[in-house]
Amino acid sequence: MTHRERVLAALSHEVPDRVPVDLGGTLATSINIGAYEKLKRHLGLTTPSEVFSLRSMIARVEDEILERFDIDTRSLPMLANSRPTERLPDGGYRDEWGVVRKQPEPQGHFMDVGNPLDGERTLEDVERHSWPDPEDPGYTRGLAEEAARLRGDTDCATILTLPVGPLHQAQWLRGYEAWMLDLAGDVDLYEAVMDKVTSIWLKISARMIEAAGRNVDVLLYGDDVGYQNGPMVSRSMYERRIRPYQERIFGLLRRSGAKVLYHSCGSVVSLIGDFIELGVDALNPVQVSAAGMDTARLKREFGQKIAFWGGVDTHHILPRGTPQEVREEVRRRLRDLAPGGGYVLCAVHNLQREVPPENIVAMYEEALASDVYGKQKPQRN
Amino acid sequence: MSQEDLGKLYDAILTGDTKTAVAVTQAALAAGTDPQVLVNQRMIPAMNEVGRRFDREEYFLPELLVAARAMKGALNLVRPLLAERGIEPTGRVVIGTVKGDMHDIGKSLVGSMLEGGGFQVTDLGVDVPPERFVAEAKAQGADIIALSALLTTTMTSMKSVLDALVAAGGRDKFKVIIGGAPVTQAYADSIGADGYSASASSAVTLARKLLGVAAAG
Repeated sequence: MTHRERVLAALSHEVPDRVPVDLGGTLATSINIGAYEKLKRHLGLTTPSEVFSLRSMIARVEDEILERFDIDTRSLPMLANSRPTERLPDGGYRDEWGVVRKQPEPQGHFMDVGNPLDGERTLEDVERHSWPDPEDPGYTRGLAEEAARLRGDTDCATILTLPVGPLHQAQWLRGYEAWMLDLAGDVDLYEAVMDKVTSIWLKISARMIEAAGRNVDVLLYGDDVGYQNGPMVSRSMYERRIRPYQERIFGLLRRSGAKVLYHSCGSVVSLIGDFIELGVDALNPVQVSAAGMDTARLKREFGQKIAFWGGVDTHHILPRGTPQEVREEVRRRLRDLAPGGGYVLCAVHNLQREVPPENIVAMYEEALASDVYGKQKPQRN
Repeated sequence: MSQEDLGKLYDAILTGDTKTAVAVTQAALAAGTDPQVLVNQRMIPAMNEVGRRFDREEYFLPELLVAARAMKGALNLVRPLLAERGIEPTGRVVIGTVKGDMHDIGKSLVGSMLEGGGFQVTDLGVDVPPERFVAEAKAQGADIIALSALLTTTMTSMKSVLDALVAAGGRDKFKVIIGGAPVTQAYADSIGADGYSASASSAVTLARKLLGVAAAG
C-alpha cells in the first residue's frame, strides 16, 4: 500500500496495512518550532529549521523527519493563514484582516491583542472595514506547482489547509468577548461580520481548491465549536447561528471531491451528528482531554460514519508523561479508534514546545510497530 | 419600589438585558431602595441562578456574558453607594492570567461571576508577572489570588506566582485558586494551590468555601 492509499483507505473505513500517521500534514497536526529543534537535536540533525506558519510558530517539517517516522501525509503551502502585512516594533505583527498579534514568549503563539472591530460597533463600521481582497494572487501563488510536485515526487496523501475558519476570523476581528456578546445580544452585528468573513473565506478557499485541483487528497477546514467542558454554544444557538455558515462551507468542500477533514478542538461529542450530516469525512483533533471525548464511545457511536484523526493526548501525556506512558496512550487510542479503519494517528493538535523529543519518538515508533491490524489482510493493494 | 419592579432587575440580569437592569436600578435607588438589598436580594440571586443554568448546560458562554454585562451595569450604580456606607464586600479577589498567556475571556468571566457573588474583584489583565500578583494582592488587602492559564506551556507560571508569594513572605495571607483548560485539581495540589475550579460558576462556590462565607440568595 502506498502512503496515500493507506490514508484514503482509512478515511473510507477500509482496513489499511498499518495505521496511517500524520505529522505536519496540516496546520493543526504539526509541531512548534521549539519542540522541532529539540527533536532534531535528539535525532542528530543539524540542518537549519524554518518556520512554516508564523501564528503558532509551526515548523516546516523536513523530509528527513517525515521519512524517519514514515509519515503518510504531506502539506501544501499555507498561504492564507494570518499573513503578516506589517511587522510591529514589539515583535508582533498586523495581518491582512487588520488583526494585531503579539508573541508574549519566544517560540510561543502569537496571540491577538488588537481586534480591529472591537467594542461598540455599527453595521456601517463593518461595511467600512478594510477587508482583505480574496482575489489577491498571493493566496494561490505556487500552489498548483507544489501540488503537482508532491503528487509526482511522493506517494503520500496531500492535504490543503484552508484559511482559518470564519468563526475564528470573526472572533479575532471583534475580540472573543464582543463576538460572544453579539451572539446573544446583537444578532444583526454578529451576522454582518459573519456574512462578510464567510463570503471572503469561501472565495479564497474556492480559488485555493481550484489551484490545487486533482492533486489534493484532503481538505482541512478548522473552526472551533467546542470548549473544555462542552460545546461553545447551546444546541439551538448552534443550529441558528453557526450551522448555516458551516452548511455553505462544507458545501464548497464536498463539491471538490477531496476528503473533508474538519478540525474543532474541545468537547464536540454532541455535534458530531451534525458534522456527519454536513459531509465531514474525518474529525480532528479528537481532544481526548475534553468532556465526553471518550474514544471508545466516539468509535462506537459514530465510527461507522466518520473517521478520527488525532487523539494522542497533548494536554497531559505528551508534555508531562514518560515515553512508556506515551506508548500506552498510543496503544489505547489504537485499540479504541483503529478497528475497521477510520483512524489516522497523530497528537491532539500541534506538538507544543514543551513536548520532549523522547515522547514524540515514542508516539510514532509505537504506532508504526503496532500490529493493530494484525493478520488482517488489507482490503486492497 | 415594589417587589414586582425589583423582580424586573432579577429577570433583566438573567436575560442579559443591560438597558432594563440599569433603568430598574436607577429607579430603585431614586425611590430610596437600600442598595444592599438590591445586591443581596436581586443581583447575587440572579447571578447564582445564571451559574446554576450554566452548570445545567441551559446557558453557555454567550448567555453568561450578556448576564454578567447586565449585572455589571447595575452594580456600577450601586457600588459607590455601598462604599459610602462602608459596607464590606464578601471578600477581595485579585485575578489575572499568568505570565506568557494572553487569554482573557475565561479569567474575565470568573471575575464577573465573583463580582456577581458579592466579591470585590481587581482584574490585573493578561500576561501578568508573578511579582505583580503579589504586589497587587498586598496593596488591595486581597483574601484570594485567582490565576488563569489556557496553555500547557504557561500553566507552569502559576507555580512561579506561588514561589513569589513564599519569597515575599506572604503565602499564608492569601488563598490561591487556579483554573483554565489544561489545569486540573491534581495540578493544583502539586503546586500547593488552595483550590481549583473547572468552571466560572463553581469558582464562586470555591471562593466562598475558602473564606467560610455562606451564599446569599
